[in-house]
Amino acid sequence: MRELETDVVVIGGGASGLAAAISAAEGGAKVIVLEKANTTGGCANMAMGLLGVETKPQKELLVDITREKAFAKFMDYTHWRADAKLVKKYIDLSASTIDWLMDMGVEIAVPSKYFPGSEATWHIIKPQTGKIGLRAAATMIKFMTERAQELGVEIKLETPVKELIKDNGEIIGVVASDKDGEMEIYSGAVIVATGGFGDSPEFINKYTPYTWGEDLYSYRIPGLTGDGIQMAWDAGAQKDFMDMELVFFAPNTGGYAPIELPFRQPNLFVNLGGKRFYDESVVENPVFSVNAIARQKDRVAFSIIDQKMLDRYNEEGLDLVNVVTSSMDMSYFMKEMEEAQKNGSDVFFEAESLEELAEKSGIDAEGLAQTIKEYNAMCEKGMDTDFNKQAKYLVPFTGGKYYALKFMPSAYGSLGGIKINDMTQVLDTQAKVIPGLYACGTDANSICNPDYVFILPGNTLGFAVNSGRMAGKNAVTFIKEGMEA
Amino acid sequence: MNKVHITIDGIALAVDEGKTLMQAAEEADIYIPHLCHHPLLPDIGACRLCIVEIDGKDGVHTSCTTKAENGMVIRSKTEKLNKMRRLNMELMLSNHIEDCTTCPKYSNCELQSLYQYLGVTVGRLKPTLHSVPVNTENPLFVRDLNRCVSCGRCVRVCKDVRGVGALDYEKTESGRVQVDVKKHDLLKDADCRFCGACVEVCPTGALQDKEGVFRKDLKRDLSMVPCQAECPANIDVPRYVRYIKEEKYQDAVAVIREKAPFPHSLGHICMAFCEKGCRRGGVNEALSIRELKRFASSQDEGLWREKSLQKQDTGKRIAIVGAGPAGLTSAFYLRKAGHDVTVFEKLPTPGGMLAYGIPEYRLPREVVAREVGEIERIGVKIKTNVTVNSVNELKAQGFDAVLFAIGTGMGVRLPIDGAEAENVYTNIDFLQKAALGTPLPIGDKVVVLGGGNVAFDCALTALNLGAKEVSLACLESREKMTASKDEIEEGEQRGVQIFNSRTFLAVTTEENKATGVKCQIVDSFSFDENKRLQLQIQPDSEHIVAADTVIFAAGQRPEIQEGFDMPLGRGNTIMTVDGVRVNAEHVYAVGDATYGTHSVIKAIAEARKAAHLIDIDLGGDGNIEEKLAEASNPSPFIGVSKGFADMERIYDCSESQNACQESSRCLQCDLRLQIEKPRLWASYAVK
Repeated sequence: MRELETDVVVIGGGASGLAAAISAAEGGAKVIVLEKANTTGGCANMAMGLLGVETKPQKELLVDITREKAFAKFMDYTHWRADAKLVKKYIDLSASTIDWLMDMGVEIAVPSKYFPGSEATWHIIKPQTGKIGLRAAATMIKFMTERAQELGVEIKLETPVKELIKDNGEIIGVVASDKDGEMEIYSGAVIVATGGFGDSPEFINKYTPYTWGEDLYSYRIPGLTGDGIQMAWDAGAQKDFMDMELVFFAPNTGGYAPIELPFRQPNLFVNLGGKRFYDESVVENPVFSVNAIARQKDRVAFSIIDQKMLDRYNEEGLDLVNVVTSSMDMSYFMKEMEEAQKNGSDVFFEAESLEELAEKSGIDAEGLAQTIKEYNAMCEKGMDTDFNKQAKYLVPFTGGKYYALKFMPSAYGSLGGIKINDMTQVLDTQAKVIPGLYACGTDANSICNPDYVFILPGNTLGFAVNSGRMAGKNAVTFIKEGMEA
Repeated sequence: MNKVHITIDGIALAVDEGKTLMQAAEEADIYIPHLCHHPLLPDIGACRLCIVEIDGKDGVHTSCTTKAENGMVIRSKTEKLNKMRRLNMELMLSNHIEDCTTCPKYSNCELQSLYQYLGVTVGRLKPTLHSVPVNTENPLFVRDLNRCVSCGRCVRVCKDVRGVGALDYEKTESGRVQVDVKKHDLLKDADCRFCGACVEVCPTGALQDKEGVFRKDLKRDLSMVPCQAECPANIDVPRYVRYIKEEKYQDAVAVIREKAPFPHSLGHICMAFCEKGCRRGGVNEALSIRELKRFASSQDEGLWREKSLQKQDTGKRIAIVGAGPAGLTSAFYLRKAGHDVTVFEKLPTPGGMLAYGIPEYRLPREVVAREVGEIERIGVKIKTNVTVNSVNELKAQGFDAVLFAIGTGMGVRLPIDGAEAENVYTNIDFLQKAALGTPLPIGDKVVVLGGGNVAFDCALTALNLGAKEVSLACLESREKMTASKDEIEEGEQRGVQIFNSRTFLAVTTEENKATGVKCQIVDSFSFDENKRLQLQIQPDSEHIVAADTVIFAAGQRPEIQEGFDMPLGRGNTIMTVDGVRVNAEHVYAVGDATYGTHSVIKAIAEARKAAHLIDIDLGGDGNIEEKLAEASNPSPFIGVSKGFADMERIYDCSESQNACQESSRCLQCDLRLQIEKPRLWASYAVK
């Protein structure tokens, strides 16, 4: 078997792995990145931006979020379930990380909110075309890849890692394979940065309350099989809080597809029993919404509108617009509706009457009829006695055609798995550090507990890049201390 | 060849005359963005990403179609060019689905790597194409027009490299020009050869292999050739099938012999896992691979012997216990590695299950004898009628290593009342005695208990021995029976009555003689986490199948002598450390004895691994690989074959004409491995 030697091995060449590699190389280490795919970037190629607090772009726009406020919000939101020291270090580092990326050539388009009530911490990357949107962070990956290579980092593509090599309780390398076969790479430290288990139905079924394809239709970025988490566990690592990074979509339509536009609005949401279950203006917050949807029978909800509402959206525009879908208008929806009418759909339904709509969608007909009656009465009074929804969103149903879209839980990927401390060191089941082993990014993102911290958007990519940076630096310190000892 | 001198972005290059600027840049490891260019394909300059500026010439030029001329000064990375490239990317992306996360090509996509490089997100342009349904109506391939950027690579590879031309640019009803099957036909009607080259060269997720066609847990070189991947010995199936088509039968058999010393026996009885993997099965029916192997082996003139490996004698002596396929295969390769090998066999004839388990009507004895003869020819000594009782007795004879390849030689009687009655037999005992010419006495009504191939062998042997009524009862439902389809069919044709979904309560007896089997009907069964059987019995379903002879064919287990002193696991199998090494120095075990009854081909594959490891343990390099046939470099140009997809499977390949015709049905999955993978921007020195 071939044998290689290096200072630091990074498993995974996504945002966290590249950040770790760059920061280790900046510290003077010889670094090898092992990436399964034939491109770097992993999930970040679809991402838009990352969290930053007290950054230059924020200051220029007078965004007044402070580190103290962000930390307090984070801990309030998670009820101190998150590792407070790790969260503090992450937030405190985030501004310098934005500088660090900008020094590599990355441009920030805007620090943005995700929805009203969230903070403008989401630093959306500016692509070369200037047009922000999905995939924007792919541009950042280019700069990071180039920076890593400039620093002498060796990125081995299509080189999956099989296992960690443990000797005397310490991690001393990995077994990897490429087209020429297996090799052992010995190193002073190993950093696990494989992006979680979003593509593993087995992991999802086993470690979250969901069953993929039954009550969860989440993104499955190929290759995110939880292999890095498993490797760390096999080497003795402790499990930490694991969940999906939940949102809600119409199943099998992609994410934020145009077909959702008039349905992701504060009108009427019902469950299979035809009953309302939440204040629909919360629809802007996908995390809260999916929590509400996940409580319903079969974790299914329907958003219902009628012809008049659709016409109004066509004429006057939508009530709510979000950053991700801001490039689309109702003409996109109309096109997709035509396609759905032509080809049939198992999530989009239209009908001439409520009975027909109930029959097509599977909603309980009596329950739905009753709900519409009650809802219309509330609209007339201008008062939502169920959930206190704002009066301006209380628009009655006037008949004509009805439309419904089925929503179910989805997720961008997974969260968490490997227990780390605030030095990004992996801990064993006795809470002792496993020397030589570090984890970062989504594999170790157990700070979003119990929910993704949407009030400070940019957390997944933000934690990936910042924890990666920390891991790279910590690994170098560890190696240097070992040499001095 | 004359050289021309050019500079690209200030780097001076000397390039062979006639090369394009793209080729010159590629050779110098300079990245010029490109998408429709592929190293294997003729260039068309369609994607317009590879544009460059040339000093003294107006406008921009596509580097894939511009020839290098002496003195050219080329700029490939100006802001003007990047702006134009971005616009071209945006045009391509405007009709490309925005969401990559649902695409199986994610992270292995050339388009994705380009929007990384060029910094393009969702387009500023409005799409004109909306959620076109994904086309899955063709076998093996998925076509997703939402991800197509009309680069035309698939069209070119099909036409120019393969000579098939099943794909083309076609006009839709709405007047849009798009890549499609010729005349909007189904692939089979366009004489597609289903080689997969189009999927291989597709830079996006527009053309994909259907889920499940290729295994994901193997290395690419193997997984892309499923027949070879499914074969435990990884026999290079497409290569020998191609030789049969070319009527080079000696080369064909040599290819098989590179991995297995029993090709002709396998041609008769192999379980043919290869055929389950065969991609042709997705088009109409799998190739008759086993029959082709049988044909090629029947033509064997032994020409491969000249190329056969024989290392110098090492002076090491190895004893192998058991002359079945596993023992003899290990013996063969260990002898080639230079060791002195003696095989001990307790029965009168070598071959193990090939000689005594599988009935002669399925596998003629002379076929086995001839193949065993080849093993003896190179100096393996086989001592028959010798029972080995302990490891020590062999070590005392001076053997350096002992390998147990004793198979599963003991039939299993279920622990039910009457199982030990006089006229109740086990499969192995019954078949072995019949093969030895001293059959056990049977009556008129024989019941075989079991649903595998061995059960059918017992049933048909009983018929051959003169039984009037033979029935077979087993736990499995008809669909779940483990016997191969042809064995079941043959059994039924010869009148064997099959009782499925039965569990056996007792053998009913009178004066210690079986009179029948008391059964119940099973609605379903499963295994719990401890691998214990859980039955759902149909109420009031108890009944008796009358019989005057009962044969248990419910599995076999290894027959372990006390003196072997070995750790035993589930089903009395020998426990090994790594499939071969038993935890004592230079004691090994291989084959069915280590994992329970499986197949001849698995025994052969495992025996090769054992030979490799034992050779290393004895100081050799462990290399037992042979090249018995010339390496072939098959032509990528496969041409049109009218009605290719509808060519029906030929089961009987005993005549050369049939064999050739059947072999021409092969999809030649291995040709896809010839196609070079394009490099992405990150791997270039200058980018």
